[in-house]
Amino acid sequence: MEKLKILVLLSMIAILITGSCQVAQETKGVYISGTSAGDAETLNWILAADSASLGYVGHTLDSLATYDNEWNIQLRCAARDVEVSEDGLVYTVTIRDDLKWSDGSPVTAEDYVYTLKDLMFSDWLNYTYQSDWQEQVNDETVFVTPEVVNKTTFTITRQTVDPEFIYTVRNLTPYPKYIATKYEGDIDAFTQAPEFNNLTYTGNLGPYKFVEWIRNDKFVVERNPEYYLGKDISAPYFEQYIVKLFGTPATCHAALEAGDIAYAGIDPPHVAKFKAIERINVYTVPTTGYLLLAYNLRDNGWEGLKQKEVRQALSMAISKELLIEKVLFGFGEPAYSFIPKPSPWYVYIATAKYGVEPLLDEEKAKERLLETGYATQRADGSIEVADKEGKPLKLTLVTNSGNDIRENVGHLVKEELSAIGIEVELKFVPWATELRKYLMNKVPGTEQELGYNNGPRAVSEEPWDLMVMGFNTHPLSPSGQDVFYATQGGLNFWGYSNSRVDELFQRIKSEEALDEGVRKQLYAELSQLVAEEQPVNFLAFQLANAGFQKNVKGIEPGINMGYNYHLWYFE
Amino acid sequence: MKKTWLRDYIIKRLLLAIFIAWAVLTITFVLVRVGPTSPADKYLANLTARGQDAAQVVAAIEARYGVDIPIYEQYINYIVNLGRGDWGWSLSTSMPVMELIKTHWIYSFQLIFLSSILAALIGILIGIYSAVRQYSKTDYIATFFSFIGISIPNFWLGVMLILLFSVKLGLFKTYYDTGIPLFSLANLQQLILPVITLGTGMMAAYTRYTRSAMLDNLRKEFVRTARAKGLPERTVIGKHVFRNAILPLITIIMFDLGSIVFGGAYLTEIIFGIPGLGQISFNAIFADDYAVVVAVTVISAFLILMINLITDITYTYLDPRIRYD
Amino acid sequence: MTNRLKNIKPIAQKVGDVKNSIFITVIALLGITLLLDIFVVEKIFNPLTYLYIVLGILFVRYGIPLLYTSRRLIQYYWQRASRNKLAVGGLAFILFLILLALIGPLFTADPTAVNFEEKNLPPPGFTLEESVYDLKTGQFITNRITGTTQHPLGTDDKGRDLLAMIISGARVSLQVGLFATGIAIALGTLIGVTAAYLGGKMDNVLMRFTDIMMTFPFFLLLVFIVFIFGPNLALIVIVIGLTGWTGTARLIRSETLSLRTREFIMASKALGASDGRIILSHLIPNVISLIIVIATLSIPGVILAEAALSFIGLGDPTVASWGMILKAGQQNLDTTWWVAVAPGIMLFLTVLAFNFLGDGLRDAFDPRSNV
Repeated sequence: MEKLKILVLLSMIAILITGSCQVAQETKGVYISGTSAGDAETLNWILAADSASLGYVGHTLDSLATYDNEWNIQLRCAARDVEVSEDGLVYTVTIRDDLKWSDGSPVTAEDYVYTLKDLMFSDWLNYTYQSDWQEQVNDETVFVTPEVVNKTTFTITRQTVDPEFIYTVRNLTPYPKYIATKYEGDIDAFTQAPEFNNLTYTGNLGPYKFVEWIRNDKFVVERNPEYYLGKDISAPYFEQYIVKLFGTPATCHAALEAGDIAYAGIDPPHVAKFKAIERINVYTVPTTGYLLLAYNLRDNGWEGLKQKEVRQALSMAISKELLIEKVLFGFGEPAYSFIPKPSPWYVYIATAKYGVEPLLDEEKAKERLLETGYATQRADGSIEVADKEGKPLKLTLVTNSGNDIRENVGHLVKEELSAIGIEVELKFVPWATELRKYLMNKVPGTEQELGYNNGPRAVSEEPWDLMVMGFNTHPLSPSGQDVFYATQGGLNFWGYSNSRVDELFQRIKSEEALDEGVRKQLYAELSQLVAEEQPVNFLAFQLANAGFQKNVKGIEPGINMGYNYHLWYFE
Repeated sequence: MKKTWLRDYIIKRLLLAIFIAWAVLTITFVLVRVGPTSPADKYLANLTARGQDAAQVVAAIEARYGVDIPIYEQYINYIVNLGRGDWGWSLSTSMPVMELIKTHWIYSFQLIFLSSILAALIGILIGIYSAVRQYSKTDYIATFFSFIGISIPNFWLGVMLILLFSVKLGLFKTYYDTGIPLFSLANLQQLILPVITLGTGMMAAYTRYTRSAMLDNLRKEFVRTARAKGLPERTVIGKHVFRNAILPLITIIMFDLGSIVFGGAYLTEIIFGIPGLGQISFNAIFADDYAVVVAVTVISAFLILMINLITDITYTYLDPRIRYD
Repeated sequence: MTNRLKNIKPIAQKVGDVKNSIFITVIALLGITLLLDIFVVEKIFNPLTYLYIVLGILFVRYGIPLLYTSRRLIQYYWQRASRNKLAVGGLAFILFLILLALIGPLFTADPTAVNFEEKNLPPPGFTLEESVYDLKTGQFITNRITGTTQHPLGTDDKGRDLLAMIISGARVSLQVGLFATGIAIALGTLIGVTAAYLGGKMDNVLMRFTDIMMTFPFFLLLVFIVFIFGPNLALIVIVIGLTGWTGTARLIRSETLSLRTREFIMASKALGASDGRIILSHLIPNVISLIIVIATLSIPGVILAEAALSFIGLGDPTVASWGMILKAGQQNLDTTWWVAVAPGIMLFLTVLAFNFLGDGLRDAFDPRSNV
């Protein structure tokens, strides 16, 4: 353990040295990043619940730390990494002493503690992600306790151990106490505060300073000459950084092709075309998103799905490689659990690989269905899949309309399951309908309010059997997926329950998992268990394609490609 | 004499306009809130990314959108604020609704203004020519093309123009750049395709209206008299026929504006990525941003009412015989 | 004279009574089915089916007798309209389209059948160069895809046959165009005639209501109602129908105003005919030519409104409509252009046909009017 720490420290020093040895580049040009994903909602980030908003603000405001493509920690506002006490309960954060708000006053530990205590934990602000900072003590939900130690140091104390809480801490960003106190207690005033909506307070906290935000059009920031990381190397090297919004991926692609923008994400069908363009570099990088086929394990789904063997049989009939080839145009990796390959907790060995050879076999799938009683054997030995009464099986697959990839997965699943004799009816419904009629559930005949997991007896309004979905997982803390797979999980809308899975999730969030070796083992066991159990059919992890103009230099392609973007430059 | 009745008439119409605008407001206000959707819906996808407690987040967002109190309280609050000139805060764009409209109306206006001016000019000219040369080859061609013009779906026309001129020929950008100054040639250039998209249908319609209005008047007695007097044809057409034809034309053009603004112009903005009021209101609808939806609907309804009123008043000056009671 | 009238009236009434009781029974039966559908069983019919049945019954009960009484007039006008070649052409295209929508699906592939092996096929005679990423080797392979006669209009990015989708889209467009217009015209006529006939306060109230409806930005209203209540075809038809009647009401009202004081109306009033009867059997038949013209000329707008809705992503996801195909085509404009071109041309031709026909009919009914 001690050795590991030294190693990490050494590698950190190495990174710091290479960081500061970075040759200063010429400052020039306007970097335009194109997107067709839609606009942000607010720059007052504590109120934001969408990722675009946090992305915009991130250009002007650094968090305590971030990670490079190999998940090595990269310090930002923190002077050194968050220190965790031996018992895993006290987190000590030390921030840099040269951080300043726009009025010149220093950013202190007081600001961080204020942000936590008086904003995030307050009743009046309705911070969306409060649960990140809560823990269960004696069946009661309580907040962690932040405390100022001195000007640059504060501690956060928990009552229960959660080894993965550190990732939440590292993500912290502050609000300026001297401004926020003006609006304290008044949600409307806080929401409309000009300082927060125009990011006029960010001082030297980010590589860029806010210029303008034209709604549904573009978000513009300019070089921050005072940026604390740019002192010796005069970074960042772009005069301006613009996020330009496009109505459709097609227009965004066209702008990249024409050289009007420096960067755009490229949809899988168009990658080949862009690879052929001399002026453009296309990097294929992993993402944290995975596609899955959910099973309705509640009472209004096909009862066969409640059996592990049936779920395994269905998974054996659906080829993950074919799906990746046909639907993702090759840009995907087969998934066997919710832990992605780039995660430090990923385990390759000994996981049951349903959906690829040799666990991809129509005959074996049918045999397994026969064993469970959902098929009959004919005189000639052939197996016919049928329900317990001997009638042909017919399942309903639901997914949200307008999402091409999910619709295509639906079509493919239909094709593959019909090969083993299961008829699939496809239902593409709008997102809001999917939420209300298929995901949300309640115990029938009661006045219960609709929720995402109202216990084992709750069912959705409309019956369904299969559902194509896409989730994101956090590679550093995949245990956050317990919301889906733990019996009590808040988003466990499909009603999955396995005591062993629950226990493993719990142990990962307990003292024993403070030891990274133990945690890795627990994760290994968990991923093997879900690969075997098939609570859902994990289909594929998606790969993303990033297209850059060739004159953008300094990029390190990878899962966290943007971590060093203040060092990028135009050649 | 005229002044008093006109003043009374305007006051009466204004009162009526306010009543109608209020009715529109109330209906819209209720409509946006009775639906089963919640502003929290769209966050669920993101929640799943962070593994959050769904119920807590939904409650937080609904509280922020103010939909956790009874609807009549929301309505009273809204009306009280409106009385103070406060149209509310747009939660999906984080700015006051009024300011949002103020910063974005110009993008819609320039598009509508250019298209309707060009369409009216060209359309009326072709219409006059067509009417004067009735049953000539030019007339047939003009009539035929005007049929094509009014029948072509403008959003499809926009897509086809992009396909041809931007994708295949590379003559224009496929998106709108707000960085270009409003009054510049480059801005005019990037507006060419949107203006054609929006203007074609209008132009065709105006050609048809002008032609038939001119033909109506050409048959009339006074034209024959004017011709008999030996006035040059140009004077007859320009002074006598056209002046009489212009009146119904104005009504039609004004009346059209309403439907154009809320149909064609919005679609054109979406196709070409122009961040005008159309895009703003569509996004507001999809984001359950109630304040914006209500404001945009009410303000545009009020504008339509005002345009109608102004048209009617203009009438009394163009044709002094007209009297409204 | 009066005696003879007295004898005729009861007979006519009897026939009317029988008709009415059948009508009421059918409507009641339908109501019961609907209630059963909602509360007891699931999905006896699709919601649109109810709409079709109701409209069908209404048409049989009121439309056919109306058309029958005015058959001579219609014949006469058709003779005049048929001199206009464009109008005849328009009618021919519309009939062809209806035929296509009705029996076309029997001859084409399933418009929802996805086949990834045959995606992005261009129409015959065209070729498409497509590069794909090969999972095994990590290399890019360039394929040349040539169109086949099996898919005369090519296929989309899911390998669905475009011709089949276009035919299915014709169904959607015609359904929306005819039924939404039907609702709008029926409402508009009823409101317009009632306002003009009753006059006074009723007229005032109805016309103010029309004003309110007219000032709603129609398309915006459509978008947000469909967004709130979820996109399905029945809802779209009903919403367009319920919001699109205002222009009709105004035109019909001004036309009826001049009729109201005519002798035959006065006479039937004197003979004790009820208001409802006068409206249904005297006033409406006299404005039927106007109704037909307005209907023909409003259909294109309705079809375009539905297409525009689908184009911005609010179309019924369970059916392939032209707007939806166009939207999908717009996404891949640079490669599979034919997907965007075909539905647009159909939409354009359909609208053009209705415009030609409407224009011809208007000229036939009244060569000098400008509806």
